Amino acid sequence: MLDVVQLLLDGLLDGAGYALVGLGLSLTFGGLKRLNLAYGATAMLAAYVGAWLHIRHQAPAWLVALTVVASAALIGLYVERLCFGLPRDESTQPRGAPIAGADGREVVALASSFAIWMQLEQLAVNLLPRHLNAFPSLAAEGQWMVAMDVFGSVSGVAGGELMLRPDRLALAVMTVLLTLGLARWLERSRAGLAWRAVADHRVAAHLVGMPVSRLQALGFAAACALSGVAAFAMLSLDAQVTPMFGMWVLLKGLVAAILGGLGSVRGVLWGGLLLGVVESLAQSWLGALAREFATYALLFIVLVAPWRASGRSAL
Amino acid sequence: MLEISDLATSYGKIEALRGVSLQARSGEVTCLLGPNGAGKSTLMLTLAGILRPQRGSVRFEGRELVGQTPAAIVSRGMALVPENRLVFPALTVRENLLAGAFKRRDAAGIRSDIDAMFGRFPRLSERVDQLAGTLSGGEQQMLAVARALMSRPRLLLMDEPSVGLAPIVVAEIFSIIRQLHREGVSIFLVEQNAHMALQVAQHFYLMEQGRVSFSGTPGELADDDVIQRAYLGQRKAA
Repeated sequence: MLDVVQLLLDGLLDGAGYALVGLGLSLTFGGLKRLNLAYGATAMLAAYVGAWLHIRHQAPAWLVALTVVASAALIGLYVERLCFGLPRDESTQPRGAPIAGADGREVVALASSFAIWMQLEQLAVNLLPRHLNAFPSLAAEGQWMVAMDVFGSVSGVAGGELMLRPDRLALAVMTVLLTLGLARWLERSRAGLAWRAVADHRVAAHLVGMPVSRLQALGFAAACALSGVAAFAMLSLDAQVTPMFGMWVLLKGLVAAILGGLGSVRGVLWGGLLLGVVESLAQSWLGALAREFATYALLFIVLVAPWRASGRSAL
Repeated sequence: MLEISDLATSYGKIEALRGVSLQARSGEVTCLLGPNGAGKSTLMLTLAGILRPQRGSVRFEGRELVGQTPAAIVSRGMALVPENRLVFPALTVRENLLAGAFKRRDAAGIRSDIDAMFGRFPRLSERVDQLAGTLSGGEQQMLAVARALMSRPRLLLMDEPSVGLAPIVVAEIFSIIRQLHREGVSIFLVEQNAHMALQVAQHFYLMEQGRVSFSGTPGELADDDVIQRAYLGQRKAA
């Protein structure tokens, strides 16, 4: 029994990480109805800039964190202009297109963001050519070790002990607060209304006087900044970064976002947690190889499931 | 109030407006008639800043609008109720109205205007938290009008507000137009329904193939043979 609780706990904590990396991806898709394939590479390059500061200049953790988030936002602006930026007015669209939604730009955005993925990843590898690079670790700092002792004594369950890393718990709590807070902000604030309005109908958003292009660029950069938050949080758990990180962010984030309903901010939380638990159980019962297999099996089931809700736009 | 001169807009190589000149006077309802494909909606989207003209000028209260962003044009006091309504389908009725007031910062004024809209359009007040995409066509049209009014425009542009609606709803829309006119809102209306338009407008233009081919009062319009045949079905032939 205790084993299962431990598995569920591990799964939920892993899942919170997946939700965190999927959050920005889902936000971008919700706003632009376009998939940003350069999302993982953006997080990775930003993390490499942070790692570079850490390794070459012994920058403190807080400065690395700020740098990673800011770099991710800047790289996001670059990606948005290159792959997702639309003309300032809609007049270059073919006849009738301002009213219609699909115009082939989804494919252009997808393909060009794939190219930028490769470019950003190459930049990162050129910055720090080694496969394994050190990253600042928050878990190694004093206050976290104290917290760990405290948790060790209170989490004792009859007949045994649950293992719980307080830094992972902190990450999970942060993810839940960030996700629910973001969803609520999108629902309640003026800027959130504008973001949803632009997502819902670009021409109508123009007509009520919203600065559509600027909102889009800002929202995109904010989503990429979130990928920077996720990158710092995840990498500081392991205190290292490899070139595989970008692919990992994109894959896990995308699966979490799809499971939760692509574009839904609250959904990505449930999607991430579900993915984490399923992976954890699969790994324990069927072996380490089954972990990755479970990811794709789950994705497959959700994509072909007859009960899936289509066309929802809930947050 | 609105002076359009020699306005030309193209979609690629297709010239939709070929030098349009017309005026809308303050306090009046001005109506633009014309067949499908005449360029009426292109004109409206150009006025709202969504489409960019190749040449010509649009002066609103003496100031040039060509080259301005749609947002700046809304701020100047001109709002478009677009063809096919274009409400935000995934936002609620209240959120649509709030979006309409995006350029305003007076929270109390916005709240009281929303209440005023619900007084003016009682059907919307029953559907405050319903998604706009689930409303009927007539309700969406009312929401589109209400959303445009939320920016407190001095000139309201309306692109075929009656299209695709049941006659009873069309009558309702036109009674709202008359009411807005009485309240002093200037209206520039594009319509195909000439009979209804005759009841509300003080000045008429006819547009064909991207050009204005007639300008006159309701009396002159009713006397014009061509317009009678095309738009009024020869009812008053004498």
